[in-house]
Amino acid sequence: MTTTELPIFNRADGPDKVTGTGRYAADISLTGMLAAKFKYAGIAHGKIVKIDTSAASAMPGVFAVLTADDVPDVRYSAVIADRRLFAKDVVRFEGEVVAAVAALTPELAQAAVDSIEVTYEELPAVNDIESALAEGSPLVHDQFDTYGVTDDTRMAANDAYVSTLSFGDAEAALKSADIVVSGRFVADASHAVPIEPRAVVAQWEGNKVTVWTSTQVPFDARNGICETLEMPANRVRVIVPHLGGGFGGKCGFHFEAHIAALAKAARRPVKLVFSRMEEFLAPDRRREGMVIDITTGLNSDGTIVARKAWIALDNGAYCSDSAFFPQMAAMHVLGPYKVPNTHVESHLVYTNHQPSGSVRAPTAPQGCWAVETHTDELANAVDMDPVEFRKLNCVGTGDAGAMGQVYEEIALQECIERAAAAAGYGQDLPENEAIGLAVGWWPSFPGASGSYIKLDGDGSGQIITGAQECGTGAVMTLPYLAAEQLGMQPEDFELVYQDTSAAPYDTGATGSQTLLNNGRAVQEAAIMIAGQLKDLAAEHLEASAGDIVLADGAASVAGSPDRNVTIAALAEIAGGGELLIGHGSGAPPDYPDNAVGATCLGDQGVAAWVGPQFMCHAARVRVDRDTGVARVLNVAAAHDNGTIINMTGATGQIEGGILMGIGQALTEGTQYSDSGKQLNAALLEYKLQTSADAPEISIEFVQINTPGAGPNGAKGLAEAPNVPTAAAVSCAIAKVIGEPVRQLPMTAERVWKTA
Amino acid sequence: MSFAIASSVEEALEALDSGARPIAGGTDLVVGARQGKGGLPESIVAIDRIAELAEIGVADGGLRIGAGVTHARLMTEPAVVDRYTALADAAALVGSPATRNVGTLGGNVMNSSPAMDTGAPLMTFGAVAELRSTSGTRTVALDELWTGPGKNSSQENELCVALVLPDLGERAGSAYVRLEYRRAMEIAVVGAAATVQLDADGNFESARVALTAVAPKIIEVSGIADVVAGKANDDALGALVYAQAAEQATPISDLRAGEEYRRHCVGVMARRAVEAAARRASGETIAVPVNRALGVGANA
Repeated sequence: MTTTELPIFNRADGPDKVTGTGRYAADISLTGMLAAKFKYAGIAHGKIVKIDTSAASAMPGVFAVLTADDVPDVRYSAVIADRRLFAKDVVRFEGEVVAAVAALTPELAQAAVDSIEVTYEELPAVNDIESALAEGSPLVHDQFDTYGVTDDTRMAANDAYVSTLSFGDAEAALKSADIVVSGRFVADASHAVPIEPRAVVAQWEGNKVTVWTSTQVPFDARNGICETLEMPANRVRVIVPHLGGGFGGKCGFHFEAHIAALAKAARRPVKLVFSRMEEFLAPDRRREGMVIDITTGLNSDGTIVARKAWIALDNGAYCSDSAFFPQMAAMHVLGPYKVPNTHVESHLVYTNHQPSGSVRAPTAPQGCWAVETHTDELANAVDMDPVEFRKLNCVGTGDAGAMGQVYEEIALQECIERAAAAAGYGQDLPENEAIGLAVGWWPSFPGASGSYIKLDGDGSGQIITGAQECGTGAVMTLPYLAAEQLGMQPEDFELVYQDTSAAPYDTGATGSQTLLNNGRAVQEAAIMIAGQLKDLAAEHLEASAGDIVLADGAASVAGSPDRNVTIAALAEIAGGGELLIGHGSGAPPDYPDNAVGATCLGDQGVAAWVGPQFMCHAARVRVDRDTGVARVLNVAAAHDNGTIINMTGATGQIEGGILMGIGQALTEGTQYSDSGKQLNAALLEYKLQTSADAPEISIEFVQINTPGAGPNGAKGLAEAPNVPTAAAVSCAIAKVIGEPVRQLPMTAERVWKTA
Repeated sequence: MSFAIASSVEEALEALDSGARPIAGGTDLVVGARQGKGGLPESIVAIDRIAELAEIGVADGGLRIGAGVTHARLMTEPAVVDRYTALADAAALVGSPATRNVGTLGGNVMNSSPAMDTGAPLMTFGAVAELRSTSGTRTVALDELWTGPGKNSSQENELCVALVLPDLGERAGSAYVRLEYRRAMEIAVVGAAATVQLDADGNFESARVALTAVAPKIIEVSGIADVVAGKANDDALGALVYAQAAEQATPISDLRAGEEYRRHCVGVMARRAVEAAARRASGETIAVPVNRALGVGANA
C-alpha cells in the first residue's frame, strides 16, 4: 500500500452546482410529461365520510386521479406498519395525502385537486405530548393492536414505543446522594429545511418503472415502492440526480410510489415538485418535539451518583424510522458521563402532528441541550466550574458510561480541554457576554453496503457505488480510498452512483454511515483489483505476486523499482482477456459485547455504540438584556471523529452543523394552532440562520486510533457537529441572565421572559 | 393579462387610467401573489425604468426622493446618509441585498404595511408623498396617506412619484432602530425612528418619534416634544421616552412576538433611537445602520 499526501478535496459536483449546470430532479423533463399535485387532509384528525373526485376526473387535461381505492391496500412503515399511501377512513395529520392528480400543467392539476370534495367528521386532535399520555385521551390509532407489534412495552394508549433503560439502582442512589437537582426542559419541533424542495419523476417502460427522486436513501425509496405497489426490486429503478441537501428530511420513503402509481394510471411520465410550504407540511421527517424531566444525584465532591429521567417524544401521526428514538433520546439525556445508577423512561407518543423522523442527529440536540443545561446547574450546586465538573464526570479512555459500556480509545477529555482553550474559556468578558461549553456524543452505525470498481482498458477507473451523496462530500471521498489501495490517484476514478439498478445496496446518506460502511466496500473492491493487477504484473515481470508493489501508477517488484510496468499497460492487457472488476461489501464492525443493551430482547439497539464519536463545543454569546436577543459570536469545536480523510468535507460538516445548531438554539421552532396545524410552515416565520448570522468558528479534530472504526480509523461525522451547539449556547445564555431558558428554541422573547 | 413597460411617468399614468397596477421592484407584489395573497393584477405597468422616478434632488432646502429610488441607493446616498440618516438606517435593514437592489422607497410607502421600515423615519421627518395622476399632482401627509394595514388613501389612478422631505434645520439628527432576531431577511417585529433637534447647549429642543409594527399603521408618538424639551440625552430621558412609546403602542400578539414583549421592545427601540439621533445631532458619526453600529437588537 502506498500513502499519498492528504489531498485537498475538490468536490466532483462542485463546478456543476456553482455554475448552475447541475441538474436536480425538478429539472427533468420527459416527452409527454404530466404534473402531479396532492390533495391534503387540511385538518389534523378526522373520519373520511366521502371523497368525491368526479369533478376532477371530468376536467379536460386531467389524466389520472387516485385515492386509496386505486392502489394496493398495503399498510407499511419502517417499523410499525401504521400508514398507507393514501389516507383510508381516517386522516391523522394535516399534510396526509388523500388523493393525487396528474394533469397537463401544475395549474390544471391544482384546479383538479381543488375540485375534489372530501367530507370529514372531524375528530378531536391530539395536540400535546403530555395530554396524549393521559387517561382518556383521544386515540390517534384506535386499532394499534392490529398493527402486528409483538413486543408491547406500551404504557399508554397513544404510546408508539417505550424504552426503559436501567443500570444499577437509581432510586436508592438518589436517596443517599448529598445533593439532588431536578429540571424540566421542553423542546419545540423543528424542521430539516433542505434548500431544494423535493421532486419526483416517474416513467414506466412495460412493467418496469424508473423513478428520479430527491431522496437521501435511494434503496429505501425503492423498497417502499416495491412494498406498496407490490413489485419485485428488479423492476423498480430509483435514480437520484444532484440532491439539494437533505439534513435527514429526505431520508425514508415518501412520495415515490404515489408518482409511480399516477404515471401508471396516466400512461405518461409524471413529475411532482413540492412548494416550500409542502416541504414543511407533508414529509414524515421533522425533528421531534420533546419533554424532558431530569433528576441527578451528586456527592458533595461533585461526582454524579445517579440519574433518573422521564422523556416524551412527539412522534406525530405515524412511525417512520422513529422507533429507535426513545432509547436514543435516553442515551443523550444520560450523556457521555460516568453515571453508575440510571433509570430513564422514554415514550414515543402518537399525536395528530406531522410524523417525526430522522433529522440530523435525531433526539440529540434536544437531549444534549437539556442535559448540558442541567449539568451547568449541577456544577453550580457544588460550586464547581462547569468545565472542571465535566472533566471530573465525563468518560475517558477505559471508563464505563452510563449503560456500562467501557470505552476503548476515546478523546472526549482532550476535546473538552481543546474547546475550552480555543474559546479562551476563563478570560474576562463584558458583563453581557459569556462562554458556554457543552459535550455531546453520537454513535457510528455499522451496516451492509456494497460497491464495484472496474478498471477499463485505458487504465481509468470507475467506482459504481450504492452510496448517496447528499452534499456532505462523503461519496466524493471514496476515490481516495480506492486510489490508496491501487497506487493510483483519486482523479483516476469517476463515480457512478445514485442508481439502484446499477449499484449494490447501501443504506444511503443517513446515520453518518457513508464513509464508515461504503468506504469499507470500496476498499474491499479495490483490494480485489489490486490482487488481479499483482497477478498480471507478476506474470509480466516474471516475479512472485507477493513481491509486487503498486505505487505511483505502476506495479513494480519490491526492492527492484526498475522492474516495473504501468497500471495502464496492465489494464490494456486485461482489457483483452480477464477484465479488471472488483466488488466489495465486507463485514461491518461488531457491536461491543461488554455493554448492557447490546443484545437484550426488546432493545432498540442503541444502548451500546460502535465507534462512538465525541465532541465539545464552546460558544461565546452576547445577550441584549433589554430585548433578550442573543447573538453567538464564536464557537470553538473540538471533535473526536476518528481519522479525518477528507478534511475539506469534514470542516464543512462542522461549520454547517454549528450553524444549524444555532438555528435550533435561537430561532427554529414549529408553532401549532389549537387544532394541531402548523402556524409557521414558511420561511418568513420559520427563521433559519443566515450567513450574516454565522459566528467565527474554530475547529480541531483530535484524531486517535479508535478500535472498531471504519476505513483508516474513520468514524461517522455528519451528525456529530449538530449535537452540542444549542447546548453550549444555552449554557452561555444562562450564565449571562442567571437562569436557564427551559424551552427550545431560546427565542428572544423567551430569554427576555426568563431574565 | 397584460404587462407594459412605461418609459415616462405620463405613460405610466395613462396605463393606470386604463386600470393597470404599477410594479417597480415587485418585492411585495410578486412575493404576495406567489404566497396566495390574491393573484397578480390582470394588467401591470412596469415603472422601474422611468428615469424621473429615480432622481434625488434638493427641494426648498429639503430633499425630494423619487419613488423609484432603491433601498440600496438610499443606504449609501450621501444626501440621505448625512441629513436623513434614519432613512438610510431603515433602507439598510430591508430584506437582503437582492431585495434592497430592486425594492423601492415608493413601493415600500405605498404597500402601506405597518411593518415597513422606511415609514417611521419618513414620518419623523414630516415627509409628504407626492401623488400624481393624469388630472394633476397633490401632496399628502403620511398620517393621512396610510389608513390601515396594506391600505392608503391614494386613488387607483394615482402614482406615488416622490417623497418630499423638509429641511430639518441646524443640529438635527435621526436614527431608526429595529428589533432583529437575525441579521438578514428580517421583517420588523417592532421598530422606532427618531428625529431630534438640539439647542446650542446640546440639550433637546424638539423630537419626533414614530413606531413600526405596533399599530394598524405607522404611528407617531404624541407628546414627545414636550417630554424632551430642554433635557439632556441621558438615562432619565431614555426612561421617559420608553414609557411614552410603550404606552401609546397598541401591538398585537402573533407568531413573531407577544403583545407584552412587543410593547416593551418598542419602548426600548424608541429610547435607543432617540439616544442615537441625539448623538448624531451633536455631531457624532454613527455608521449606518445603527443596529449594527451600536449592537442594537441582534447585537452586532
